[in-house]
Amino acid sequence: MRNRTIAGMRGGWTRREVLFGSLGGFMASSGFSFLAGCTKRKESADVLISKLATYETDVASVVFAGFRELGVQEAEIRGKRILLKPNLVEPHIAAGNINTHPLVIRGAAEAFLRAGASKVLVAEGPGHSRDSLLMLEESGLGEVLREDRIPFVDLNYVPGYTVENAGRRTRLHHLTLPVTLRDVDWVVSVAKMKTHHWAGVTLSMKNLFGVMPGIYYGWPKNLFHWEGIDRSILDINQTVKPAFAIVDGVIGMEGDGPIMGTPKRAGVIVMGRNLPAVDATCARIMGIDPHKVSYLEAATGRLGPIRDSDIRQRGEAIASVRTDFALVEKIDAHRGLRLS
Amino acid sequence: MLPGGTYSPDATAWAVLALAATGSGGRDRGVIESGRSRIAASQGGDGRVSISQSAPDSFWPTSLGILAWHGSEKHAEQRSRAIDFLLRTSGKHWVKEGRSPLAHDTSIQGWSWTQDTHSWVEPTSLSILALRISGLDDHIRVREGIRLLEDRQLPAGGWNYGNTLVYGKELYPQPDCTGLALSALAGCIPRPEVEKSLKYLQSQVTRVRTPLSLGWGILGLGAWGQKPGPTTDWISECMSRQEKHGAYDTTLVSLLLLALNSREGLGAFLGNRERDR
Repeated sequence: MRNRTIAGMRGGWTRREVLFGSLGGFMASSGFSFLAGCTKRKESADVLISKLATYETDVASVVFAGFRELGVQEAEIRGKRILLKPNLVEPHIAAGNINTHPLVIRGAAEAFLRAGASKVLVAEGPGHSRDSLLMLEESGLGEVLREDRIPFVDLNYVPGYTVENAGRRTRLHHLTLPVTLRDVDWVVSVAKMKTHHWAGVTLSMKNLFGVMPGIYYGWPKNLFHWEGIDRSILDINQTVKPAFAIVDGVIGMEGDGPIMGTPKRAGVIVMGRNLPAVDATCARIMGIDPHKVSYLEAATGRLGPIRDSDIRQRGEAIASVRTDFALVEKIDAHRGLRLS
Repeated sequence: MLPGGTYSPDATAWAVLALAATGSGGRDRGVIESGRSRIAASQGGDGRVSISQSAPDSFWPTSLGILAWHGSEKHAEQRSRAIDFLLRTSGKHWVKEGRSPLAHDTSIQGWSWTQDTHSWVEPTSLSILALRISGLDDHIRVREGIRLLEDRQLPAGGWNYGNTLVYGKELYPQPDCTGLALSALAGCIPRPEVEKSLKYLQSQVTRVRTPLSLGWGILGLGAWGQKPGPTTDWISECMSRQEKHGAYDTTLVSLLLLALNSREGLGAFLGNRERDR
């Protein structure tokens, strides 16, 4: 029996709660066409920056207010099945800044449910660890999900379905996605604001590496490294078609991210419908020029805008929250990224 | 297989091993043979066992197939073809440039999870276990695989998925990878070479209670004659956590059964079975 589905329903987790069976029947038409509609090329995009001093703040209200600020109508969410994709990379109890904070996940889940979502689930396929239960325990996310009765799906072990690679920046003609994606209406990237020693930065777009199942791509998902991380980020995003992004920049990571860097407080949550625009905004907050980040520059015109003039910044001004994240000169992907 | 479930060769192989480990004899023999035959039916023409027929490049279950077929005369031919596949397959390897950010020796051949990717600790460890139990301890590929694991051991002890230092920073170890690597290396290299890793793993098994990390932790220590005294209690505690995690899947339950029943690790357990046959 494969599907490692861990559910937080009815006070106990039933790992085999049949998400696929219960959700699958009425998905095929509406969900996918909706997702397809979210990927139209956008000439401009709205991105919201909200200050958040600590994780103990009411994150749900911040995200819920963000929907309104960004023009997301409740009718778009009502009755929809929402997949929240956090960034869980490695299980280390003393290194919480590696992963999306559990209270951001809780807040996002609550906001979507408050807006009328019929179901919210959290799904991730950690890139460096096969022991997702340990990830949940060490990160504290497991406890939060259990308390809130939010199901967790380990995407590394979910059977896959093959689709055409919509991006074709890599040589891969097809990608294998977890069937879980077919059973939801919105994929929401709930990422961490971090520097990255191969990609420059890891934000909402890079976070989607984690949807690719380990049973098909291994640990780490090394095929995408060989195909080029930048090109793979674009292919995965163009194929998965995420609908929304929320980036946890309350405490991010600077220096030698995504694992060995140091905590950096930026005190913000950044969100929006368009992932390149959200990530470009995050980069500017980090003191990084998004045009110097290869995959963000390449996303322009196909996946979304990254030019300052094409992004309608809402909430806080970038200048008021800019917090330069340390870059490491000897890391190739960091060189020359600093925003002047 | 439960209704609605899908066949997976890795889960089937672990179930075969676990049932054999429980020593229940004739009662389970039919189930074991049926599992072995199911894996055989999914074997590719070149000997590989892939995660599914639609994903032939994801051939990492091949080593598990060899372990499951171990001791079965009926499946000797399939086992032989799988061994041949492993011996002619390796992860990508290359001589790195002087300024590479990677500390490990990228030229050593091991095994990868999937086609055309680098060699990593877990598939290399499983392949070594499978080849050693098949009597190929001295094969050049096994010796090189062992060298790879030695090279990927973290300076402070333990293993992770397979990177040691990147841009001069030592990465974190993980208990499941460490237990698996120690299982593969037992009896091949002197204890002082893995002393730090044994200490790291001892410190982890006292606190982790998730099946993958605890299971491999116990198996790894057992392979070096250090199976923890409270193993039964820890596994019981781990099993009781299904109340909050939900029911463990076949692979996880099988791993815990093996950890419970193997006195000296997976390799020794399989070797003893061969001798007892």
